[in-house]
Amino acid sequence: MSSAEIIGKPLLRREDRRLLVGQGRYLDDLAVPGALHVCFVRSPYAHARIVSIDASAAVEIEGVVGVFTGVELAEWTTPLRMAPAIEGLLPVESTALPLDKVLFIGDPVACVVARDRYIAEDAAALVEVDYEALEAAASFDAAVADGAPLLYDDVPGNLVSHQAFSSGAPENILDTAEIVVEAAFHQHRVTHAPMETRGCIAEWDEGQQRLTFRLGSQAPHPLRSQLARRLMLEESQVRIICPDIGGAFGQKIALLREELVVAALSRHLRRPVRWLEDRMENLLAAVHARQESCRTRAAVSPDGRILALTLSMDVDFGAYCFYPANYMARVVAMILTGPYRISSYGYDVKVALTNKCGSGPMRAPMAIASWVMEGTIEAIARRLGLDPVAVRRVNLLRDADLPYAMQTGEVAGDITPAQCLDRLLADAEYDAFRKRQAEDRERGVYRGLGLCSVVEPSTYGSAFYKAAAIPGSGHEAGWVKVEPSGAVNASVGLMGSGHGYETVFAQVVAEGLGVDAETVRIHMGDTDVAPYGMGTRGARGATAGGSVLLLAAQAVRRKALTIAASMLNLNTADELQLQAGRVQRRLADQWSDTGVTLASIAHVAYLDPLRLPEGLEPGLEAHRAYDPPPMTYSNAAHACEVLVDVRTGKVTVERHTVVEDCGRVLNPMIVEGQQHGAIAMGLSGALLEEVVYDEDGQNLTGSFADYSIATAVEIPPMRVINLGKPSSSTPIGSKGMSEGGVMGAIGAVTNAVNDALAPFGVVAERLPLSPQYLRSLLRGKT
Amino acid sequence: MIVEAYERLPIALTVNGRSYDVTVEPRRLLSDVLREDCGLTGTHVGCEHGVCGACTVLIDGRPARSCLTYAVQMQGASITTIEHHGASGELSALQQALHERHGLQCGFCTPGIVMTMQAWLDENPEPTEEGVREALSGNICRCTGYQNIVDAVLVAAGRQADMRKAGK
Ligand code: FES
Ligand code: FES
Repeated sequence: MSSAEIIGKPLLRREDRRLLVGQGRYLDDLAVPGALHVCFVRSPYAHARIVSIDASAAVEIEGVVGVFTGVELAEWTTPLRMAPAIEGLLPVESTALPLDKVLFIGDPVACVVARDRYIAEDAAALVEVDYEALEAAASFDAAVADGAPLLYDDVPGNLVSHQAFSSGAPENILDTAEIVVEAAFHQHRVTHAPMETRGCIAEWDEGQQRLTFRLGSQAPHPLRSQLARRLMLEESQVRIICPDIGGAFGQKIALLREELVVAALSRHLRRPVRWLEDRMENLLAAVHARQESCRTRAAVSPDGRILALTLSMDVDFGAYCFYPANYMARVVAMILTGPYRISSYGYDVKVALTNKCGSGPMRAPMAIASWVMEGTIEAIARRLGLDPVAVRRVNLLRDADLPYAMQTGEVAGDITPAQCLDRLLADAEYDAFRKRQAEDRERGVYRGLGLCSVVEPSTYGSAFYKAAAIPGSGHEAGWVKVEPSGAVNASVGLMGSGHGYETVFAQVVAEGLGVDAETVRIHMGDTDVAPYGMGTRGARGATAGGSVLLLAAQAVRRKALTIAASMLNLNTADELQLQAGRVQRRLADQWSDTGVTLASIAHVAYLDPLRLPEGLEPGLEAHRAYDPPPMTYSNAAHACEVLVDVRTGKVTVERHTVVEDCGRVLNPMIVEGQQHGAIAMGLSGALLEEVVYDEDGQNLTGSFADYSIATAVEIPPMRVINLGKPSSSTPIGSKGMSEGGVMGAIGAVTNAVNDALAPFGVVAERLPLSPQYLRSLLRGKT
Repeated sequence: MIVEAYERLPIALTVNGRSYDVTVEPRRLLSDVLREDCGLTGTHVGCEHGVCGACTVLIDGRPARSCLTYAVQMQGASITTIEHHGASGELSALQQALHERHGLQCGFCTPGIVMTMQAWLDENPEPTEEGVREALSGNICRCTGYQNIVDAVLVAAGRQADMRKAGK
């Protein structure tokens, strides 16, 4: 294999071996002699005043070092103030642990530190907290109702964010339109549920005045900045080290309160302190996601063309803001129109704080967008009696329309929605399905096929954040270093949790530099080693991380060839190339080996620098930062085929087909794995998963017996076809992927169920598509 | 609530053919003893309530949830963990197939899946896809969507059958 063609090969993952034989090193596998263990005491109330905390019985237990509450923590840490200057968004502040009030079931009120985890849990059960129960606001409607109990004194009506936008006078068009189609979409609360729960190990070094903090983090550098700030330390006093991570999906980005507490306790006690979250804590109190209700109104022409569209969206955000509360909803609203030409659009988005676990981004935070847009298309087709494919086609962007600026200003460049849809209809055997469906209906068997087109945003460059008034950057950083022996080390600010970065980035560096992939080692997740980058989120790994490593590797190659030219007594390096670590020279259109190797170049660069061409500094390394375009968009079309048992309401997904264009594919095997995982997460969420709270804010889903995740039996065979049109706006040519699968699966499966139920004249507009819910729609109709 | 000091009992465990003498409280979970007292951290704990399958080990050759088993019950039993599959430096047919078919991402569920499916393959040497999915349904994988794991198990079954034939 020529090293110029390593990107794009399905190289097997180098991280697999250790994971397959039980030699992975996840957080809890790290032995730290003398470490104390922490257990949190958590609120059994959704909303209550803390009257008193009595830990006298707990500290009596042998092996307990201490019990700490919000009062002590407030001395050692600064509060989190989430207050970006965004119009319509109110600032919210929270302390490390609550001082006077708990805001949801599972809110940590005290922290027990003990010799081992069993003792810490025993003692936690003996901490007596006296609460004065308060009325809870446990839903969006309850929170914004007149006279609702307030979570924060300075958030009136619990309405933390209200943003509106309109372009092209949609309201006027809707007021005068002959045909207006309305549709509703209620997405339920779900949670990330990585198989490895959260946890951390803090080691304060009193001599060095330095904290080493180990945890699974997708974004180690921003986490370090935040941790240092909140502990009132310098960034140079904090080192984050990430071991292997057993899944993250967005739950392991921001610094959450337990982690801050553990770090502060290590410094206070001058001892290593560790915490491992149990599954119940993870389900009740880590981070939740996605509870959003949307309504759309579309003015349409008789042939299904959308003349104007409005979205209203209500978000139940939960109690705490570790992210700006408007952020996820805003992305939904900004990209809603996706692959369609819609010249008049407006939105109205409200976010309420409620007495539930706080929300954060989860793999495809904007997941609902595709379901809402495609469900609106389906509603239009139903209303007009048209084929839903025909309605899609009349609105779909064509090549001639591109690049297309959506009304919100988002620019979709290299997308291929029409090509993906055409190919999908052929591969999913759409026409044959319609025939089969009709025959089956005759015999009382109800099948459905649902389509969903997806436009998936990724990269989120700095210009995106600036435009959205969110503080921070969207750049990524990396370095590539050839060591004196010719060995290659490289690093990037991202941290993976199963993404295969060690393999994919080795491919990128190998191709950029001109060596074999096996010779490249990627180092991530240690802030003393890795450059300051923004981490893994928003499907930006390949595009932001891959691009920056390619740029750094190319810079090293240029320097290596300059040195080689001088070693060969040539004036320029123009006729030289590096292949598999050897320098070749072009002579009469033939590349031939020069005998100079990367190792010999490195030797000169480090150990014999007097031989370097004038002006070149010793060493062979490059450090680059890369700020991607504000957004790159990939796109896909999904088809999901279901069978609905109308007597029981049970949905069986029979197959799922996707045609996706995520640009240049760096490693097709790994990309397909990400696509499968995303589709499965979307299907599982739409069909089974749900964080259930009752009216009083009691969480009824504290175990995997209650919060059910799809198994191999519920997930269907999946087929993914990649149409890779390289992005013209990123050096590496990829456009981002791995979230779109979630978006497409939710929309496609819901449209499929509604297609199956069409003979009964009912439409599912809530998730999950549980047997109970579907039966409730069908009652009296079957 | 009163917390009593628990009596600690000495037990002898046999893990991967090696014996370990440990002294444990009766309530101590086998998963914790394997990971903390024996230093065998390949067995992972994903839920501690018997649903996810991450902690699966073999007890006297049969798959069992080590998070639902007390270590004191294991006196005299023979336990096999993931560390057994790989001790030789070679991957088993199933591990190799999982590698080639990209049947793992974060890898946290993987040891439990290898333990479960190897035991199942030993009893079901000619599986169907449906059978594999059914057998796998006691293990949650949040990353892969299962498709590649299912394929890998089928590939491993085929290779094991070839090896058996070659051995005959
Ligand atoms: S940890 Fe034992 S089944 Fe989940
Ligand atoms: S590979 Fe991550 S849970 Fe299975």
